[in-house]
Amino acid sequence: MPANLRVIRTALGVALCLGVISCGGGGSYSPAPPAPPTGGNTVAVIVDEGPSNNSVNTLFTSVTVCVPGSTTSCQTIDHIQVDTGSYGLRVLSTVLSLTLPKQMAASGSPLVECTQFVDGYAWGPVELTDMTISGESAKSMPIQVIGDPNYTTVPSDCSSTGSAEDTVTTFGANGILGIGPFALNCPLCAMQVVPATYYSCATPSTCVGTVAAEDIQEPNPVTLFATDNNGVILDMPAVTSTGQLNVTGTLIFGIDTQSNNASGTQTVFNVNGNAEMTMTFDGQMLNQSFIDSGSNGIFFTSNISPCAGSLTSFYCPGSTLSLTVSLQGTNGTMINNVPFMIGNAQTMLTNNPTFNAFPTLGGTNPNAQSFDYGLPFFYGKRVAVAVENFKTTVGTGPYIAY
Amino acid sequence: MMSPMTDMESLNQTGQYPYKPSEECQMLQSKHLSMAALCAVAFIAALSPRLCHATLGEPEVSVQADVSQLRASIKSSEDRTVYRVHEIQLPSGTVLREFVAANGNVFAVAWSGPFMPNLRQAMGKYFDSYVAAPRTGISDRKHVQVALPDLVVQASGHTRSFAGRAYLPSAIPAGFNLGDLH
Repeated sequence: MPANLRVIRTALGVALCLGVISCGGGGSYSPAPPAPPTGGNTVAVIVDEGPSNNSVNTLFTSVTVCVPGSTTSCQTIDHIQVDTGSYGLRVLSTVLSLTLPKQMAASGSPLVECTQFVDGYAWGPVELTDMTISGESAKSMPIQVIGDPNYTTVPSDCSSTGSAEDTVTTFGANGILGIGPFALNCPLCAMQVVPATYYSCATPSTCVGTVAAEDIQEPNPVTLFATDNNGVILDMPAVTSTGQLNVTGTLIFGIDTQSNNASGTQTVFNVNGNAEMTMTFDGQMLNQSFIDSGSNGIFFTSNISPCAGSLTSFYCPGSTLSLTVSLQGTNGTMINNVPFMIGNAQTMLTNNPTFNAFPTLGGTNPNAQSFDYGLPFFYGKRVAVAVENFKTTVGTGPYIAY
Repeated sequence: MMSPMTDMESLNQTGQYPYKPSEECQMLQSKHLSMAALCAVAFIAALSPRLCHATLGEPEVSVQADVSQLRASIKSSEDRTVYRVHEIQLPSGTVLREFVAANGNVFAVAWSGPFMPNLRQAMGKYFDSYVAAPRTGISDRKHVQVALPDLVVQASGHTRSFAGRAYLPSAIPAGFNLGDLH
């Protein structure tokens, strides 16, 4: 966004931040999101400005982590991003006040991960925690601690994938909760050394690539829950087309395991091994398309006018466009002509610089075979994400249903 | 939707481009894909110093190191009208494509697959510019676009599936269609 707009957003964000209990790191940055329908398997989620004060369409929740086996050495961390496009819990070291035990590689040395993102990487050791979210818990679960100050020597093949995202500011969150339709980020890493993924570090600056067996990788935490472990349901209210300051919703664990997570009459879209499906837009069948709470807009190839300046990857049509896209799962199920709107990104951000939820935010997609339907897809819907090989009453994961 | 120009349209615009591969790459002059691929494989097997594979902004023949450093193999090489493409299969499953202009210089690289490629190797001296470039204030971790005067990088994707491209705007051959850059 333009520098002046960013300053305004930041200033307002700081003002909002000062108005609450406390500010800064350590997981005490803002009050807990308001409590929605409660139950042992639900947790509140919120779209707000985030700890970097400039997030849009970014969904957060809170998790509690404890030293394994302890009920007192615990910490609740807010503003963990809820991401259905990745797998595993990752937290920034600067907000983690606990000392957790290291996960060891097969070599006996600490296991350290290079997590790959489109625009960069997160580097840090894999450690063990007892995680609790709502009434659900995952014991002695591997998580990644990003930006550990003891691990500052990033292997060259890791740093060669892009920019470091190892601070709350560069990461835009205090951590990320990957709860997509698979159990692991990297099944291949259990079979071969994949460059820029897992390392065995005899010393913090002596790291060599290693295989990482599935049980020492950071898993989708849901798969470790005692029950309610076959997936999640994300229940979000509709959002005004011009945007809203914040949006609160509910993340429900389990599908068809409790009275509050029944499948009902949803349409089930199975996804392929990349969590992708086919979407048809403007007559083009795009077979690398995906639904992803971790994408902050609707991204597709089009001749809609792009914005100028620093928003150049977003769309700025002269007036709000009403469009449709058709969804098709790998199981052949279809919903045709799902309506969506694309507004002018510059206008919506300028008119409401404090807003954090924009259902009509769209942008370009350099992959012409992909329609990336991000968090705006979830607004006004109750979307189920079932994990691979887990069954529900309406299908077997990996699937997305609504 | 933009309607990408077909190769034929490029051809019609530019006519028969007088493609003159550099001397070092003459074994890849063949207009036949299979022959070119065979040559490429033969090069790798022999670890020939004339291996045709390169880094963004550098001559096609300058970076034999790429394939060996990436522990990769050339999957195919193909001559088009105004450029040539080397497709490199990385062991991780990701495919890296390098686009070479008639003057023998790499003007673009593109990638797609389950893991990010080694962009420092693929982008060479431009990698540091990419990393240092300012990002939009509302970016997520699933998209990136960097547009500098001499470098454009566009990428998108998610865990298990990444795609992107980097190119030098001033080095794009006349008649080249950016829609072919993937």
